[in-house]
Parts: sequence; structure tokens; C-alpha cells
Amino acid sequence: MKQSSGTLKSALWGLLLVTSLCAHADRAAPTLVYSWPVNAGPLDPRGYAPDQMYAQAMVYEPLVRYTAAGTVEPWLASSWHVSDDGKTYTFTLRDGVRFSDGTPFDAAAAKANLDAVLANSKRHRWLELVTTLERVEAPDRRTLQLFLKHPYYPTLMELAQVRPLRFGAPLAKPGEPVGTGPWQRVESRLGEFDRFTRNPYYWGAQPAYGEVLVKVIPDPNSRALALQTGQIDLIQGAAGEITASTFVRLRDQGFASALSAPLATRSLAINTGRGATRDLAVRRAINHGLNKQAIIDNILYGLEPRADTLFAPNLPYADLGLAPYAYDPALAARELDAAGWQLVPGASVRSKGGEPLAVELVFLGTSALQKSLAEVFQGELAKLGMQISLRAVEEGALVSRQREGDFGMIFADTWGAPYDPHSFVSSMRYPGHADYMAQRGLAIKDQLDQRITKVLASTDPQQRAEQYRFILTTLHEQAVYVPISYLTAISLRRDVVDHVQFGSTLFDVPFEAMTPSQEH
Amino acid sequence: MLRYILLRLLLLVPVMLAVSLLVFVLLHLGSTDPALDYLRLSHIPPTDAAVAEVRQALGLDLPLYQQYWIWLCKALQLDFGISYLTGRPVLDDLLYYLPATLQLGGLALACTLLFAVPLGLLAARWQGRWPDHAVRAVTFIGVSMPNFWLAFLLIALFSLWLGWLPALGRGSPGQLVMPVLAIALMSMSINARLLRASLLEASGQRHVTYARARGLPERRVWRGHILRNAWLPLVTATGMHVGELIGGALVIETIFAWPGVGRFAVSAVLNRDFPVMQCFTLLLTGLLMLCNLLVDICYAWLDPRSRLQGVDA
Repeated sequence: MKQSSGTLKSALWGLLLVTSLCAHADRAAPTLVYSWPVNAGPLDPRGYAPDQMYAQAMVYEPLVRYTAAGTVEPWLASSWHVSDDGKTYTFTLRDGVRFSDGTPFDAAAAKANLDAVLANSKRHRWLELVTTLERVEAPDRRTLQLFLKHPYYPTLMELAQVRPLRFGAPLAKPGEPVGTGPWQRVESRLGEFDRFTRNPYYWGAQPAYGEVLVKVIPDPNSRALALQTGQIDLIQGAAGEITASTFVRLRDQGFASALSAPLATRSLAINTGRGATRDLAVRRAINHGLNKQAIIDNILYGLEPRADTLFAPNLPYADLGLAPYAYDPALAARELDAAGWQLVPGASVRSKGGEPLAVELVFLGTSALQKSLAEVFQGELAKLGMQISLRAVEEGALVSRQREGDFGMIFADTWGAPYDPHSFVSSMRYPGHADYMAQRGLAIKDQLDQRITKVLASTDPQQRAEQYRFILTTLHEQAVYVPISYLTAISLRRDVVDHVQFGSTLFDVPFEAMTPSQEH
Repeated sequence: MLRYILLRLLLLVPVMLAVSLLVFVLLHLGSTDPALDYLRLSHIPPTDAAVAEVRQALGLDLPLYQQYWIWLCKALQLDFGISYLTGRPVLDDLLYYLPATLQLGGLALACTLLFAVPLGLLAARWQGRWPDHAVRAVTFIGVSMPNFWLAFLLIALFSLWLGWLPALGRGSPGQLVMPVLAIALMSMSINARLLRASLLEASGQRHVTYARARGLPERRVWRGHILRNAWLPLVTATGMHVGELIGGALVIETIFAWPGVGRFAVSAVLNRDFPVMQCFTLLLTGLLMLCNLLVDICYAWLDPRSRLQGVDA
């Protein structure tokens, strides 16, 4: 007994020595300091709030990865094959991949993860693939098969999402994030920071940074000050990390800056089923009556490209060459006149058959940006004889109003890559979404919904493109949306960081590609 | 005296119950649905099915009275539920963050007293002369300046321009200086002005004139007859400032990325994290009531009249 206790003690000392050496080796490598408003969370591969998606994307990897071109590329799966009926996906898994605890990633581990999603499908059914997936098989160590109930073309796109279809070590203890990604979370101090170090078993190239320290800084102004005082090295993201004015100020002070390609669309949804906006002429007049470029230059500091269509042309099936609604108040006024919305002498608001041309614009009261935009819209459209009443609401109330269709116009951005266009379009079929509620007044709503169902099940790319052309053209011609600008991710860094890149979605930050500057 | 303290402690129970009921009802009267907030934070589209699922998981589908009863039964066993935001037990989270806030608040209170008393004395002792004018000018600025603005000015001066102090975070003594100053300045200024006014009022009392007429040395007059009476309003104000200091911590902790309970509560409010808001309100109520009790005990110690009243009660 005494001897075994001595052996145990020696083993523990040995383990401690090795651990401290490893820790020292990691600490010796450079550290990238980033910030986020909250802690990363417990980091369950299938977890939602409080798990943060940027951190899940660091630790867990998908079978296929979404690219900036809107396509997918091999990742944990080195190749795949789709059956002719579009119902069976067979993946060949990359060889030599290990989880950060050293256990192998194989088809059994992948199946265990996907089975866990299916076992809790109620929680994950918001993702169409989860409701479409019938079963998962692992015929051998490197082959994984997904059997669908019916063909679903965005299968690969949805497999690329940050959650819930990525892979954690099946035997990892709850609260211990073990993935195959380039990083592993080694320390988390609530309210202070999360520390990530390199995954020693990573199958790809090891990151240049030894660790990423993510400090918890909730306030955007404090985050900017932290960059200025050197307490963090990098500000990057598309979730309002800092305001546009602060971005411009820091850029002008000499901090290296960058803007990503369009990742989503900042837009207004117009209610076709209620009030004056039932009239197509009114919706078209709203689109023609807003000087978007001036709004972008003056309110968004020119940081976002003007949006002329609901989806940016760099997204799949979205480059349709649709004619933009040009800024033309005179044309807008003529169309309103022609539709019977007359401005009687002495009045400031048009009316038709006694009904005033009044529209309620709902915006998020806590967003200074939405408030500014709403006020400009109000002023611009007043010149056309429209009475826009502004309604500031809380975030939860905004979602409630979107769900209930309780709006004339409402801010409703698209979901961004990799959800656009397929998931976003898919949601248009379900009552309770802002888009469904906005479109329900259209005479061809049923037909639109049928086309959306068809496009998602389509196995022929040609046919799919035709269906998308019909859907997006109809929405554009019916002026259901006012696309304002394409949302971009921002990046500001101190000169200690090089090779800063953007992820291909709204949610990931590719720290593994970044390198310490040679001058430092 | 002991009986009085016990009675006051017992009074905590009905007050806490009433506050818990009031807060619970007020939180649920709002137009927002925490299930929608949860889905928004999770980047899950709020379909009817998803909303129903989350409402059921969070217990929001039950009638309000039932929700309150369940909450109360658990709260009596110190189980205040799970935070919607962090997924951890609420009490664990609040107790985790509380020491950092107590450190900040305690130091701010100490600073308040450490500076307010000498400044008030200085101004009253040399009333109408330059020390009085200087103190009044400084405290006027202190009272008028919002703490969040002061916080950013301090960071700009000491971190950005001079580079003397770290702008954010917790860990080193240097990281305490600016948040403590930002929280304490207003209370310090109010207390200094209050003490000045109180000292001047006390020094004009007839018993002070009589003491001087008896030929007592000026120092003894001040110590025995003026200061003793002037302390009382300061004690009351200090008790009230504990609430202000915690209120100040809500904003200041967010600006300085200070991992305290104030910042945690702000994020709970912004995201409609009902269990945290409920527990935080109760914690604050208990803390303020205990502070008031402490003030009353100090009062009784300083003023025999209130001690006798307390005994009579």
C-alpha cells in the first residue's frame, strides 16, 4: 500500500512536471489578445446560448467548410458523394485527424455526434437538415453516410454551420470542450477572460500564435480604449464590436483596418398585408424615395456597400442582374399620383379615399444606428407626402412584432452567410417570421411558398437556379424589402498582428491564419 | 437594543417577500418574452415550435402564480434558478461576482469618507475664505459630473495620454484607482458639502455659543460640541450612499470591464434574464436594509436620544 502510494506520488510529480513544461512551451509562444462581450460559455458542440459561436468555431470543425465564394470545400471529410436521388450523402473522412485529447476522429465518433443531434431533434429542428435527416451510418472507420427523408440541396451548407452539426470527442466530460479544431480552451475565468492554446494534435498547419486570450469587455467604447492602450491587439467581427464612427476615428489615427466582403443585408421588410403598404405603388415609392447612398455616406460613414437587392450578388443564385430601384423622388411621386394617393392642396400627407398614407416604422430603441436611419427615412419619405410614425421597441418586442406582423415597416436583416439564401428563403414559408408576415399580402404568396419548397428539394442545379430566379425576382418586383446596405465585418488591429483575415461567415474569426508581426 | 436589532432583522422577511412578489409581477408585465431573447442570443430563428420549446424549458408556459410559487419554494432553499444567459445557477453566479463589487464598493466608500470628512471640515473651518471656495468648487464639479463621463475622462487622461494606469480589467492595484475614483467622486462631493453645511449649522447653535462663552478652547468646542452633532446627517447620508455606490458600480463595472455583480446585472437586464434580475433585486434589497440597520445602530451609538427611543420601542 505504501509502495503504491509512493509510485502514485512519483507519477503525479512527473505529470505535474510534464504539464508545467507543456504550459511553459505554450506560454513562450506569442499570444494574440482579442475581446468579446461575454465569456465563451461551456462550449458544447451542440450548445446554444451561452455558448459563443466564434469560440465554437475555434474548437470544433465541420465535415465541409463554407467558403467566401458561397461554395463548400472539403474539411473533416476529404470527399463526398451524393446519390442520384439526392437522399444519401456518403462522406470519406480525412485520415489522421485527432481530437485535442489525442483520441481519433473517425466515422464512429462522427456518427455519435450526429446521433446526439437526432436524439435531441426537438431542440435542433430549427435547422431544416435535422428534420430531414433520417439516420446516420458508419460502415467503416472512414466512411460516414447520411440518409435523408427527402432530397435537400442545402445539406452541405447546413453541415458547414457552426452548430449543431460539428464534432466533439464523444467521451469528453460535460463542460470540457474537446474538438478537432486548431484551438483548445484551457482556461476560463468568469467575467474576465477565456484562454485558448494550440491543439497539439491538430491535423492542419499549427497556428503561428501559441495562444489566443479573449478578454471579456462588454462595452464598445471600452473595447476601443483597450485597443488604443494596447490591452488588446485586435477588434474584429460583425456584431457591432465598435460603432462606425469609432472605427473611422481609430482608422484615421493609424490603426490598420479592413472591411470584409458583404456577409448579410441590412434591410427593411414592408408589410404587404396591412395598411397603405398593401399597395405596390406605395412600396415602390418607398424604394425610389430613399437616397441610400447619402444615408450610407452620412450615417454609416461609407463603411457598407449600397444594397440594391435582398441578397448580395456574391451569394449563390443571387447574381440575377435585377434592376435596382434608383433614387428618384419625382418618379415615386408620379407613381403615387397614378395609384390615387393624392396630395390635396394645403395638406402634408397624401391620402386615398379618405385613408391617409401613414406607415408605422418599428425599430430597436436601444440601437442608435437604427434610430438615426429611421429618422432619416421619416424625413425623406415625408417629402413624398408619406407620414412615417416611428415606434421604438425593445429587442424582444421587436421580435414579437416581427412574428405577429405588427408593423408597417420593420428592420429585418437577412441572416447572413452561410444561412443566405437557402435558410432565409426557407423561413419565408413559416408564419411567425417577419418575412412571412411581410409577404402574406402578396397574391402569389402560396405560389412563392411552393417554389421555395421545390427549390430546397431540387437536385438539378439548373432547375434550382430557375426557381431562385423566380422567387428573388418576384420579391424584388413586389418591393417587399428595402435593402439598405450589405453588412460587413470590421477589423482593426495594432501593428503587432499580421495576416488578419475574415471568416467566410458572420460568426468565425480565423485566428489560426493570423501571425505576429515580424517587426515585433 | 438587541431586541430592536432582532426586530429589524425579522422585518427583513416580509419586506423581501413583498419585494420579490412586486419584482416578479413587474418583470412579467412587460411586453417582451424571454424565450424570444433566448432564441435571439442563440441565433435560432423564432419559429412557433422553437418558441414553445424554449418556453417549456424555461418554465414560462405555466400560469404566473404557479411560476411565482415554484420560484418562491425554491428560493426558500436558496435555489434561485438557472440564468437564461449563462446556464449556471443564479446564486452561484452572483456570489462569484459579488466579491469584486464589494471590493470596488468598499474602497469607494472608504475613499468617500477619507476625503469627504477633511474637505467638509476644511470648508467649514475656513468658511468664506479660499479653502472653502476651493472645496465648494471641486465638490460642485464632483456632484455635477456623471460617473460614466468621468470614467472615460480618467481613462483618456491616465491610460491614453499619460500611460500611468491600465484602462480595464481587474488584478493589480493600479486597476482599482480609476473605477474607485469614478464611483466615489459624486458621493464624496455630496458628503463633503453636507458635512460643511451641518458643521456650520451646529456651530451656530446656542450651546456652542455658551461653550465659547465659558471660555472653552476652540479645539474642544469643535470636537465636543460641534463635530459630535454634525456627524449625524453624515451617517444617514453615508448609509444612503451605499445604494448609490452599488448603482454606480452598474455602469462603472461595464466601462472598466470589471468582473463584478453590477456588470452581470446590466447584462441580465439587457437580455431579460429574469432569474438573475429577480435574485439581484433581492440581494440589493437585503444589502440596503442591512446598511440602514447599521446606520440606525451607529445613530443610536452617537445620539443617546435615538438609543432611548429604540429601547422604548
